[in-house]
Formats: sequence, C-alpha cells, structure tokens
Amino acid sequence: MKKIIKNPYSHFILLGLVLLTLPYLAEAGAIRNSTVTVIGTTIIYTIAALGLNVLLGFSGLISLGTAGFMGLAAYISAYVTETMALPFEVAVMAAIGIPTLLGILVGILSLKFEGIYLGIATLVVAEILREIFINVTPFTGGATGALAGRPVLAGTFQLNRIQTYYLIVVVMVLIFILIHNLTKGHLGRALNAMRGSEAAAQAMGVNIFKYRLIAFGIATVLAAVSGVLYVHYVGLSYPTTWNLMLSLDFLAIIVVGGFRSIFGTFIGSFIIFAMSELFLKPIPALANITPLVKGILIIIFILYYPNGLANIKHQVSHWLVRRKGKRDAFGQTKAEKKNLTRAEVRENDTV
Amino acid sequence: MANFIGVFLRSLEYGSFYALSALSIILVYKTSYTTNFAQATLGMFNTFLVATLVMRQGWSLYAAIPIGIVSAVILGVLIDIVIIRRATKAGPVGKQIITLGLISVFLGLTPIIFGVDNLSLPRFVSSGTLTIMGTPFSYNALFNILFGIFIMLTMFATIQKTKIGLAIRTTASNETTARIMGVPTKTVTMAAWAVAIVLSMISGLMTAPYSSVSLTFMNDVQITAFLATVVGGFATFHGPVIAAYGISVLLNIFQVYMPSGTIWGKPLLYAVLLLIMYFKPYGIFGKQRLKKV
Amino acid sequence: MTPSKTKELALKIEDVSIAFGGLKAVDNLSFAIERHEIFGLIGPNGAGKTTIFNCITQFYKADSGSIHFINAKGKETDLMDLSVHEIIDEGIVRTFQNVELIRELSIMDNVLIGAHHVMKQPLLGQLFNRKAIRKDEAESREKAEKILAFLDIEHLKDLIAGSQPYGVQKKVEIARTLMSDPELIILDEPAAGLNDTETKELAMRIKQIRETYQTTILLVEHDMRLVMDICDHICAISFGKRIAVGTPKEIQSNPEVQKAYLGEEGELE
Repeated sequence: MKKIIKNPYSHFILLGLVLLTLPYLAEAGAIRNSTVTVIGTTIIYTIAALGLNVLLGFSGLISLGTAGFMGLAAYISAYVTETMALPFEVAVMAAIGIPTLLGILVGILSLKFEGIYLGIATLVVAEILREIFINVTPFTGGATGALAGRPVLAGTFQLNRIQTYYLIVVVMVLIFILIHNLTKGHLGRALNAMRGSEAAAQAMGVNIFKYRLIAFGIATVLAAVSGVLYVHYVGLSYPTTWNLMLSLDFLAIIVVGGFRSIFGTFIGSFIIFAMSELFLKPIPALANITPLVKGILIIIFILYYPNGLANIKHQVSHWLVRRKGKRDAFGQTKAEKKNLTRAEVRENDTV
Repeated sequence: MANFIGVFLRSLEYGSFYALSALSIILVYKTSYTTNFAQATLGMFNTFLVATLVMRQGWSLYAAIPIGIVSAVILGVLIDIVIIRRATKAGPVGKQIITLGLISVFLGLTPIIFGVDNLSLPRFVSSGTLTIMGTPFSYNALFNILFGIFIMLTMFATIQKTKIGLAIRTTASNETTARIMGVPTKTVTMAAWAVAIVLSMISGLMTAPYSSVSLTFMNDVQITAFLATVVGGFATFHGPVIAAYGISVLLNIFQVYMPSGTIWGKPLLYAVLLLIMYFKPYGIFGKQRLKKV
Repeated sequence: MTPSKTKELALKIEDVSIAFGGLKAVDNLSFAIERHEIFGLIGPNGAGKTTIFNCITQFYKADSGSIHFINAKGKETDLMDLSVHEIIDEGIVRTFQNVELIRELSIMDNVLIGAHHVMKQPLLGQLFNRKAIRKDEAESREKAEKILAFLDIEHLKDLIAGSQPYGVQKKVEIARTLMSDPELIILDEPAAGLNDTETKELAMRIKQIRETYQTTILLVEHDMRLVMDICDHICAISFGKRIAVGTPKEIQSNPEVQKAYLGEEGELE
C-alpha cells in the first residue's frame, strides 16, 4: 500500500480521477458548466507549458515560440479534419508531425545561438508563423479563423463536449507519466547537465546537438498536442490567439509553478489561467488586471522564489529547520550557511 | 528611378525608428547583460502618455513630449532600482524572463491608466512636402531622418568622447573591474535604463503617426530592432544601428519589389535574417568570445 | 627523457601549437605519458597548462601538431579527429579548474552523469520505463554508491551538490570521473581551494585511484609539494614552451626550471 502511495504514477492518476469527477459535479449543480470548460482549457495549457518546462526548466533553453507551434498544430488539425475531411487520427499525426519537424529545425538553429539570442530567434519564428496564420487564408481562414468539430475516434465515435473533456484528462495523465519517465533518469540528467554546465556535459559525453534537438522535439510535440486538443475542444482558432502574450502565459506558468516540476506546471497553469478566468474576469473592476498580475508574479517569483510554488514547501521547511540550528535537507545549519561565500549559497539558482 | 529614391528615403525614415529602438536594446544589454524584451512595451506606454495629453487634454505635442521624457526617465530609474538591481541571483535567461514579465505588467497597466481605446498622434511636422529628384517627400519624414541621425551621432559622441561615455564603456566591458576602479556602475546602469526608455519613446512617437497608438503598435519595430541588434552584433554600439538602417532598406525593397511583397516581404526578410543569424551568430560586426573552462 | 622504453605510452603529444589572436598560448609542445603513471604539468600562471588540457579534450582544436591516445587494448586514436563529447568514449575524462557541477541536483545525480556514455538507454525504452532501463539505472546507482563510499562521501549522496563545501564539490567531480570507467583522468588544479589537511588527503586519494581503478593520471597543479610528492614524471612549461621533462628530482634540480619558474615562485621544499 505504501508503495502505491509513494509511486508518482498513482499521484498523476489520482489527479486525473479528481478531474474526471468535475462534469458530474457540474451535472449535480455543485459547479458551473463553464467552470468545467475553463478547467479543460487549463489542462490543455498545462500540456504546452510542460513542454516549455522540459525546454527551459531542464535544458535552460528559452522559447517564445510556444504559442506559434500550438497554433500551427491547431490550424493543421482543423484543416485536415474539416477541409480535407480526413479522420481525426490522421489529423493528429499531421498536426504533431509538421510542427515537430519545424521545432527540430529551430533546435538546429539554436545550436549556433547562446541563451540570449535564442529568445530573439524564437520570437522571430513565432512572428513568421503569426503572419502565416493571418495571410494564408485558404489554410487558416485568415482573420475569421478556422473551425473544427469535436474529435471522432476511429471514424465512428463522435465525442461530445464532456467526452472530449475526458479525453483531455486522459491525455494529460498519460503525458505526465511519460514525461516523468523521460525526465527522472538518463535523459533528464543529460538535459540538466546541459543546463548546469555545457562544458562538463560535453566532457561527460553528452552530445549537445542531439540533446538540444530532443529538448526542442519534446517541447514542440507537447505544444502540438495541446494545439490539437485546443482546436477540437474550443472549436475554433483565431490568429490573434497565438500571440506573444500566450507564450508569456506559458512562461509565467512554469516560473510560478516551478521549473522541472510536473505538478508545479499544473499548479502554475491553474493560477495563471484558471484563476483569472474563474475569479478575476467575472468581476468587471478586476477583468483588466490579469496581465498586470501575471507580470508581477513572474518578476516576484524570478527574484525571490526562483524554484516556484512546487518547491516553496521545501524552501519554507529548509528555512524553519535552519533557524532551529538543525541540519536541513541541504545538510547545513544556519550557522554553517553563514560561513559560506555568496557564490556557494546558491542552491536556489535555476536559470 | 524616382520610385527607388522614394523607397530609399522611406527606408531611411523607418531606419530611424528601428535604429532608435536598437540603440535602446543595446544600451540595456551593455549595462545589465540582458535583452530587454519590454523595450517596445515601455516605449508604447510612454507614447500612450504623450498621446493622452495631446488627444484627451488638448496639449500641444511639444508640451507633452517633455512630460513623456520625464515619465520615461522615472520608469527607467524605478525599473532599475526596484527590479534589475535585485536580480543578482538571476542568470541571463532569468533576467530575460524578468523583462518578459515587464511586458505583461505594462500591457496590463496601459489600458487601466489610459483606457482601452486606441489613440492617434500628430506628426512632429504637421504639413509641408518637398520634392527630391521628382519624389515628393514630407517635411516630417525629413525631420525623422535627420533627428534620428542627430540622436545617433549625439549618443555615439557621448559614448566615445565623454567621461560619461567612458563610464558606460568600462561598465559594459567588465562591471566588477569598473566598480573597483571607482566607476559608479549602479548609476551608469540606472542612467542606461532611463535613456533606453526615452529612446524607445522617441521611436514610438515617430512611428505612431503612421499607424495608431495601440497596445501592439510597436511590435514590428521591436522585432526588426532585435534582428538588427543580432545581425549587427551585441559587441558594439554602432553595429546594431548600422544594421537597423540596412534592414530597413532591405525590408522596403522586399515589400515594394517582391510580388505580393506587402504581405510576404516582412516574414520572408525575417526568415532570411534568421539564416544570417545562423551563419553569423555573433553578428556582422561582432566577434565570438572564447569560453574559458 | 627518462621513461624506460619497456613501458607503454598512454598519451603522446607532439609539436602542439595553438594561438589566440596572434598570441601563442602553446608553442610546439611535446610530451608523452606512460600508462598508469601520475604525470604533472607545471608552469607559472598563464603558461598554457589549461590550454593544453583543453586541446587534449578537444574544447580547443590545436592549430598544429598531433595528440594521440593509446588505450589499454593498444589501440591508438588521433584525438584531434574527435568532438568534445566523443573524448570520454576513449576513456579520457577531466575535471575543471572551477568546479563544474549541476548545482541544483543531488550529489548522486551529479555522479551518475559520469556514466552517461556507458549507459545505453534508447529514448523509447526510457519513455515507457522498460525493465532494462530500470535495471541499468539501479546498477549505475550501486556503482555510484561504491565510488562515493571510496571517497568517504556516501552519506552525502542525496544532498544538493551546489550547497556543499568546496572540498566536497571537488570530490564529487572526481567521483564523476571515476563513474565513467576512465583510463586517463585529467585533473585541472585539484588542490586549488583546499586546505592543508584536504590537500594531504587528496594526494593519498590520487595514488589510491591509480591503484584501485588502474588509471593514468595527468594533472595541472600549483601546489608544488603535492606535485613533487605524487608525480612520477613532470613536464615544466613556460609561455607555452616546454622547458624540462623528468622525475620530480630532475625537475627540482633543473636550472632552466629554477630560472623560469621557481625564480618567481620561491624555493622548492
């Protein structure tokens, strides 16, 4: 029993089960139907943000293109199912495959750029994509947007709104498990090494080229999955949706939630997206305040809580224990910590 | 031919907008070691202030601009003191994220303070046209070109010839050494932020009459300015400025002479510049710094 | 040169030169290291010691000359044909002058990075956490624990590397090199920042590592006592040029070395 409780898979599955109950609560009148829709969208954003977390949190590579890749997948999926009238599964493959190839291409470009250039390069890529969304009208519908129906699985099972929500939850749990598998071992260490010290990583045999491509690949696959789910859940895609603000939201999600934390990404997504949709937007006086709050949260977290909410618990206990002069989780007492140089007191350093 | 001269002159005018923004970016980069993604947003915010005074309060443009400059300086000082100075623990990407947070802050603040409607802004020179080799050309455009060049030259002269410039250059090359040698690096960084935001605002004031004052009206300028900074290289002050004028010429040529250039000229140029970034990642005027291990 | 001809060589450096912006950091340098010896590279600051390390490990590509490694099986490899990340596959691993660890990860995870090139884990296998992957991970952990125990830091294995004292961090770096099944370990100033007791322990460790792990060790060090104490052979360089090679005794009595190096650093003990 203890083994089951400690197993991270069971945490993800438990979270999934809790989320699956929401439509029943809505039916019972405990929560509003619109709340379920907001939570569904939050989960979709969590998936894209998790991809960015693999890229930025683990590998230390910044991308401002998340929204662009998500949008590209959304348009492709809508085009393949609606205009080409091909099965949902084909659309999924095309909508994940094409952006991922593009993402890997950006990964190749990234090899020549140090951190500070990468943000600019991805910003430019997102801008090019945005121009395509606006101008290639036969493909994207231009300013009027593209429409998409709910998924039809295996050509026969037409999902309704609630069933699509279930699909989203299941996909999220699967992705959490897979990303957990990928990041907890060999690959996770290589990505961490790349971020921690590129020189040491290379000396230890980590092929920077290969792992940058893998990191960009994972990030785009997740952004694409997120885009596909978005367009078939929300039903349409506008060019204005996929702007820099959305990419900044993803950034805010992982900064607030916590770098390298799967649950942190979920919590961050809840705070950045769901909170404003559910609590701020319904109040007219606060409706416009959302970007301001997001921006302040980003700055405060980077300055004071660089490990995000996922690690605040550790930080607090760390601090409490140290005050008492006991050895904390980092094996230091407060007195010892005082003797360390500034450079050594940097265990909270992230990016 | 007349057409080409028109294109060229317009390139110079738009080059001013880009160059001012690029200079703003490089000033902050040199003293705070981060790319200020909020450059355009901060310029937009102050342009909104000036536009509000002009459109809503009936001020003259020339009375409103000094207020905008004061506001820009105060913002620069505040951002440096309240945020940038405290970001000692954040790495370069961490600082970039902070500037991205600033975008969100000011995109949120602007409609709260100035309202949700777009505004418009008059030109510096309201009317009058002259003809250069058969090409009509407004006095305002001429003013933008000359004023842009004037600011660039003043900035370069300040950086190269004065004591303040020396302080900026030493801070840029090595902050710790500069501080030990008695250069007030904190003041230099603060001043750089203040001047950078003023430059962004001037870029905004010049751009605004050709579009409208909206939350996103400076985005294109920002992206072009960033590309100019990368192509010109972060190593020098003049590299990005020269690249800004160069890119402006290319952009206008792409837009005018390419089939459906008005739509695809810009994204195509962006893609070309990305490729240049790939092959010359440290810019045309820049040099790769050898990493010591 | 004194090395007896019967011993096999592990590393041959011949006429290596590299210049940065016209300045010759390494100038026609040659030396050879025998298998299982501890070889010291000494020289005043800026003599080009770390540059040589970077040339061997391919962080820098030498302008001219050749660098050959002969592994335990007798296979000779031209290191200049390899990329940085391929060097470790030959059995060559290094530490860094300024400790390069992943500060936010545990000591265990940092050590495990050393086994990166040994672990053959296909991406799909990792994705689905296959049994073979779990077994590989468990075995690597066991190996890492043994190494940490060997260095007396096993009790710290779950602590965050970045918050450890410098001495421990240096040990973690050494543990990481041992994790990679090395044939040649390159240590860049292993004693820098250590106190006297720690330096004595380090000297003992380096000898122990050679015996236990059957490796060759090349080190750059400023602490003369350490170098003279543990090295079998030493190469002294100044301004990128070799001035002497020999046993510690020979180096100490070499007038060239005394002039170029000891003259400014004081007497040898």
